[in-house]
Amino acid sequence: MQGSWNYRTMIGGGMAFTMLPLLRRIHAGDPVRLRDSVARHQSAFNAHPNLAGMAAGALARAELEGESAASIERFRTALRGPLGTVGDRLIWAAWRPACLLSAIAAFGMGLGPLWSVTLFLVTFNVGHIAIRIWGFRRGWAEGLGVGKALHETWLDRVPRWLGPVILFLLGLDTVLLSRRVLDVVEWEGFFGALAAVAAFVALVAFRWPRRTGRIAAALVLSMDHKPARASCSAVGGIRQALVALRVQHHG
Amino acid sequence: MPLAEIPLQSTGWLILVLLGGILALDAVSWPQVMVSRPLVSATVGGWLLGDPASGVIVGALLELMSLRHPPYGAARYPDAGPAGLVAGAAYAAAGGASLGALVAAILAGWGVGWIGAFTVQLRRRGNERLMADEAALAARPESLERRHRLALRLDAVRGALLTAGFVAPAVLAAAWSVGQPASAAATAWGAAMLVTALAASAGAGGRTSSRGVRGWPLLLAGAVAGALLVAVVA
Repeated sequence: MQGSWNYRTMIGGGMAFTMLPLLRRIHAGDPVRLRDSVARHQSAFNAHPNLAGMAAGALARAELEGESAASIERFRTALRGPLGTVGDRLIWAAWRPACLLSAIAAFGMGLGPLWSVTLFLVTFNVGHIAIRIWGFRRGWAEGLGVGKALHETWLDRVPRWLGPVILFLLGLDTVLLSRRVLDVVEWEGFFGALAAVAAFVALVAFRWPRRTGRIAAALVLSMDHKPARASCSAVGGIRQALVALRVQHHG
Repeated sequence: MPLAEIPLQSTGWLILVLLGGILALDAVSWPQVMVSRPLVSATVGGWLLGDPASGVIVGALLELMSLRHPPYGAARYPDAGPAGLVAGAAYAAAGGASLGALVAAILAGWGVGWIGAFTVQLRRRGNERLMADEAALAARPESLERRHRLALRLDAVRGALLTAGFVAPAVLAAAWSVGQPASAAATAWGAAMLVTALAASAGAGGRTSSRGVRGWPLLLAGAVAGALLVAVVA
């Protein structure tokens, strides 16, 4: 549905593309009505991709029942915001990170790389496909009254339940992955001191997330600190090239 | 690391390029089963070069760095499929046991991800033109179908070109960094900074799934549990 996503009609073209087989059957032998309904559905519309099926089901039902163009247009306008917001919170901010972080935790605890990836793909897609099917069926069953399905409590509860789980897993994964990074260099320094500094930085980043890019970039570039230059020769090389250029320029 | 030891042949390069197209397509266009996440794409990239364990480490690190950038609406976010593939392949090609190669792979992945984000914007503007004549498309629905399918194909080509352009330079950069001399102190410093940068990314990523600042004790509790686990295993 998002194949032709663009800044003007967003998933409008994709919605018309998705509904075309059904619209052709509903308006068989009436090219004018088919043209009008395709024009309606390819106008600007947006929804979370996993919940867009709910809109498609409801709109298909409305077309089948011969609802007026004006009520279909009102419905499309009313549904756009909620379908995006609910889907973003449920899938992008909760379900997907929870599945990803669980798989990374499993890898950190010793599960093989391919099994960890399989764990993520299976868990995510079980939920993702179930939501797509549920959305389409509810849309088809309720027609233009599908808006009430978006008030179902589980849509709000799942992100609220998963939020704390995600934060816990994030802390766990950071330590387990750090251990893997330190294993690469056979690090023998004080793990406690490093953990304390990392925890402090994590909390600062949690409080002011928008400035984290700069914090992380500064830390990575600090590898160019004199004793570390050799460990990250790519950065060191760039710095040496810049110094050489500056000397040449002043010369 | 001598060039002859890099396990990237022309067939492998071609498979990576084709996969780059498929992974880019999965991220937004179709079918969004999330094979485009760096955890998956980097592992596949590493696996193709004979070392999935190296790939999954890079993928997991990129994943934590990407949590801060969810794909809400028209937001810009890293194109994680080709980025993970390039990074995973680069680190695996370098043998997977060097901090320099790890940092090079992460920087390559992050760079490709944001260049990919720019190409996604270009594609969206291209789609705008492709779907512009709404009246004509409504009158001839078969041309609407053709243009939608063309948009899908163009997205795959975009991902393939992105991978084709960056996979070999990333592999070479990672392999080159392996042979560079490094003192023990320098390596320890580099690893400590990478861990701290990872913690910063995790902290910021946590806020994306948290509705307020009150979640920080849970973040710490997870870290303590992780430290206990590491201590028990050690």
